[in-house]
Amino acid sequence: MSKLGQVVESIEKYNKFVLDHVKRARSDEQFGRELLGRWNDIKAKIPVTRTPTGLPLPRLALPEIDEPGEIARYLFGEGLPGEFPFLNGAYREMYLEPIREIESFEKNGEPPQRSARPPLPQAEEPTRLFSGLMLAEDTNERFHYLTQHQRTHRLSTAFDGPTLYGIDSDADGVFGKIGEGGVAIDTVEDMVRLYDGFDLGSPNFSASMTISGPAPIIMAMYIAAAKRRFGPKVVSRLRGTIQADIFKEVQAQNETIFPIEASLRFLTDMVEFTTQEMPRWYPISISGYHIGEAGSTPVQQAAYTLSNGFAYAEMFAARGISVDQFGPRLSFFLDCGLDVEYIALARVSRRIWAIGMREVFGAGPRAQLLKLHTQTSGRSLIAAEFKNNLTRTAAELILAYMNATNSCHSNSADEPFTTPSEEWIRLAAHGQAILLEESGIFKHTMNMLSGSPGMKAVERSVEKAILDEFREIERLGGVLAAVEDRYQRSQIQNAAHRYEQQIYDGIRPIIGLNRYRDGAEDTPEVKLVRTPRKRQQLQVDRLAKFKKKNADKAKHALDKLANVVERGENCFPILLEAAEVCSLGQITGRLQEVVGRFRPMV
Amino acid sequence: MASPIRILTAVPICDGHDSAINTINLEFIRHGIEVVYLGYHRSVGDIVRAAIQEDVRAIGISSYNGGHIEFFAEVIALLRKRGANDIKVFGGGGGTITHEDAATMKRKGVDNIFFAGTSLEEMTDYVRKHYGKLRVKRSRAKSADQELAHKLTEIEETHAAGRKRRTKSALSRIRDPESAIRGTKVIGFTGPGGAGKTTLIDEVVLRFLNQNPTGKIAILSHDPSVIGEGALLGDRATMINSQNDRVFMRSMATRGQAGGLSPATHDCLALLARSGFDYVVIETVGTGQEAMPFQKNGIVEETVLVMNPDYGSRLQLQKIVMLDLADIVVVNKSDLQRARTAHTEIEQRLEQNRRDQRLIDTVAKRHRDPGVDELFELISRGSK
Repeated sequence: MSKLGQVVESIEKYNKFVLDHVKRARSDEQFGRELLGRWNDIKAKIPVTRTPTGLPLPRLALPEIDEPGEIARYLFGEGLPGEFPFLNGAYREMYLEPIREIESFEKNGEPPQRSARPPLPQAEEPTRLFSGLMLAEDTNERFHYLTQHQRTHRLSTAFDGPTLYGIDSDADGVFGKIGEGGVAIDTVEDMVRLYDGFDLGSPNFSASMTISGPAPIIMAMYIAAAKRRFGPKVVSRLRGTIQADIFKEVQAQNETIFPIEASLRFLTDMVEFTTQEMPRWYPISISGYHIGEAGSTPVQQAAYTLSNGFAYAEMFAARGISVDQFGPRLSFFLDCGLDVEYIALARVSRRIWAIGMREVFGAGPRAQLLKLHTQTSGRSLIAAEFKNNLTRTAAELILAYMNATNSCHSNSADEPFTTPSEEWIRLAAHGQAILLEESGIFKHTMNMLSGSPGMKAVERSVEKAILDEFREIERLGGVLAAVEDRYQRSQIQNAAHRYEQQIYDGIRPIIGLNRYRDGAEDTPEVKLVRTPRKRQQLQVDRLAKFKKKNADKAKHALDKLANVVERGENCFPILLEAAEVCSLGQITGRLQEVVGRFRPMV
Repeated sequence: MASPIRILTAVPICDGHDSAINTINLEFIRHGIEVVYLGYHRSVGDIVRAAIQEDVRAIGISSYNGGHIEFFAEVIALLRKRGANDIKVFGGGGGTITHEDAATMKRKGVDNIFFAGTSLEEMTDYVRKHYGKLRVKRSRAKSADQELAHKLTEIEETHAAGRKRRTKSALSRIRDPESAIRGTKVIGFTGPGGAGKTTLIDEVVLRFLNQNPTGKIAILSHDPSVIGEGALLGDRATMINSQNDRVFMRSMATRGQAGGLSPATHDCLALLARSGFDYVVIETVGTGQEAMPFQKNGIVEETVLVMNPDYGSRLQLQKIVMLDLADIVVVNKSDLQRARTAHTEIEQRLEQNRRDQRLIDTVAKRHRDPGVDELFELISRGSK
C-alpha cells in the first residue's frame, strides 16, 4: 500500500477514534466528568471583547453543548482553532483585532480595563496581491505602488510566458510575449531590478513567485540577486514562497519543461537546500487553484491537491529530509468559488492533511498544519455585466475566510476581459479590508460562522468524496502512476466539459449570461496595457549584453552543472553558481540535454 | 466523394491553455473535419513546417496569454516566405484579444478571429464554408517538403474521389519499387493502442537525428477516422523530437478502411520511399489481434510490433498474428510490474516461430533509455 492508501486508513481510524471517544464519554462516567471539566475550563478562559456599540462577545465562539459525548466529538473531531485536527483553523486567533478591552468570565462584571489609545494592529494583513507586467523595473514600480500603505510587504510575482517555460526573451518567436501577462526574467540582473528598493532580508518582507517548471532555476536567481544586494548572510533570512508544483502542472496547467521524474528530482534538490539553508522559505506551494480553474470540481481540486501534497511529502522523506524540517515549509493554495462545497472545502482539507501527516508521516505539530493561501475563483467571473463580479468575489471572500484561510487574494472584476487595472485591483483589495476590518463578521470572534448544521453536512459529504478519490488514485498505483496515466487530467477535463454544458443548458445559472440577461454590451472595450516593442527590444538587448559579458564563465558553469546532474548529486548548489552567469534559457537548455524535455500529454 | 477538410490547430509558444482548443477539435472532427493537432507551446517554425508537410487548408491558433498580434503575423510571414500562401490562418482566444487587435490581425492577413462566447457551431460552419472547396490549381511548390506534400494530397484526393490507385502525375515514375527505394529503409511500426508506438518512434527519430547530422527521415502516421468522417490526428503533439527540418511527417486518417492504414497509404508510402529519405517510418493506428497491416514482400522492409505488457492472458498471445510476422517485437513500458512475465511469455511465443525475431524491452518515456538505444541499433544495422 502506498502512503496515500495509508492516509485513507489513518482518516478512517481517526474517525473511529472520535466515535469511540464519544461513546466512552457517555459510558465512562469519570472520563465524561473530565471532559466536562476541561470544557468548562476552556469556556472560562475565553476573553470577552466589546463591539463598537458596546456589546460584549466572546473572542472564541463554541457550540452550546454540555453533554460529554458532544464535547468529545467537538474536541477530538474538530479541535479548537489552532488545535489538532485543525478543522476550525490552523491558529488560535486568525483575523481578530488585537485586544483593546480585556475581560474574562472570571472578571465578568468588573469594569473593563481601557487602554488610553487603541494600538494599531500589528499582525500581517492577510492580503497578498498578485502582479507582474512588462520588464522587471515596470513590475518593481507596480510593487511599490501596491505596498505604499502597507506595513508589511508581501509581493506576489507573475512571470511572462517565456519565463514560465524556462526560455529566454531572445528565443525564436517569443518576442511578442515578452512582458505579457507577467514580468520577463532572463537573468540575475533582472531579478535584482525586480525587487529593487525592498529589503529582502527584512522580517516584514516576503516574496511569492508563481512559477513551477523552471522554479529551481528562478529560485537560484532570486538567491543570487539577494546575495548581490545584501551579501551572503541574507540567504538564511529570506522569506517567501515559490510555487514549484510539478504535479499540478502536468495535471492542469501545462507549464512543465522537464520530464516528470527529472522535474521532481530538481524540486527535491531545491527543497533539500532551502530546508537546510533558508528556514523561513516555503519552497513549494501545493496548488489546487489551477486545477480548479482548469475546470475540476471542488472535491477533485481538494483531493488532487492533498494527494499531490502527500506524494511530495513521501518524496522529500525518501530523500532523507526530516518531516519536521520540511513539513512546516509546505504551503497550500486553493481556489474558492461559489459552489456550496466551498463552505467547508479548506476546513476538511486542513483536517485530512493534519491527520495524514501525523499518523502516516509522524509529523510533529508544526508539520501538521495546512497553511493556506486562497484566491477567489477567476473562472466564476464573466465579461457580461462584469460589475456583478464584485458580488461574486465578495461572496467567495466570505467563504474563504469562513474556512480560516491564512491569506487571500481577491480577483479584480475586470479580469475576464483584461489585465486587471488599478481601479479594479483597488476595489478587490478593499473588498477584503471591508470584510475583515470594517465589518464585524470576522474581527471580534473566532468561529463566528463555523459549525452550522449545513456546514457540518457539507464537511461529512466532502470528506467522504475526497477519500473516494484517494482510493481511486491508490488503486491506480499512487499519484505518480495516476499522473502518468493521465487520470487526474482526464477527470479535470471531463468536469470542465460538464460545467460548460451545464451553463449552456441553463442548469447552472450565471446571472447576466444565461439568466436575467438584459442584452447589455457583452465585453466592455478596453485599452490593454501592452508591453511596447521598445521595451521588449530593451529586454532582448540587455540579455545579449549579459550573455556576451559572461560567455566564458557561463560555459564553464553549465559544464559543471551538467556533470553534477549526470552524477545524480544535488544540483542546487551548482545551480546557484550557474545563476550568477547564465541566463534562464541557457540553464534550461543544458538541463534538457541531460534529462530530456517534457513530452506533453494530450 | 471529396476529401475531408484538413486543418491544423495549435496553441502558441509559451502558452499552455489547451482546454478551449481541445473542445473545438472534438467539435470539428464530429463534423467531418480532419484536424492535425500540434499541441500547446508550439513555435512559429513548428506550426508552419507542420502545416506545409500536412498540406492543410488552414491553421487555427488558440491564443490566451498575449503576444498574439506578433505571433499570428509571424506565422503568416513564414507561410508566405515558404510559398504556402494558400494555407489560411484563423484563430481566437480569451479576453486578451481585443476587437481592435482582431482588426489589426485581419489587416495583416488573418482570415478571422473568434472571440470568447462564439458558439462551436459558428466556428465549424466557418471552417466548412471557407476551407471546404477543392484547391484545383496549385501554385508551383517552393520546397521539396511542399512538393512532396502536394503530391501526397493529390494521392489522398484521388483515392477519396474513388479513382483507384496511381494517378499519372504522382506515381507514374514508380515502375519498380525495389530499385526506386534503394538507400531508403522503410520500417513499419504497429501494435495495440496505448502501447507507446508514437513515443517510441519519436525517441528513435531523436537518435537518428543525433547520429546523422545531415540525414533525413519521413514518418507516415495514422489515426482512425471517426463516424462523422473527421479525425483527430494528434501524434505530432507528443512527438517533440520529430518537429525538425530534417523530419518530414504526414498524418493520415484511415478514412473508413479497417486494418490500421488508409486507402491511400500504399501509394503515399511508395512515393515517400523514393523521395530520398534515409528512413521512412510508417505507424499504423492501434491494431487488433488479427491485424497484419503490412503486405508480405511489400515496401515495408522491417516491421516492429510494439506491445504493452498488459495484453491479458498467455492465451491471448497465440492470437496475435503480428507476433508471427514482426521482425522486432518490443515490450514497451517495461518498468511496469508485469513486464518480466510479458517478456518471458512473448519470448516463448516467438521461439515457436523459429525465425530470427528479436525481442527488446524499452521504456520509451525515459530519456536515453538503453532499450530504445538497442532498438535503434537494430534498425540501423545493415543500412548505410
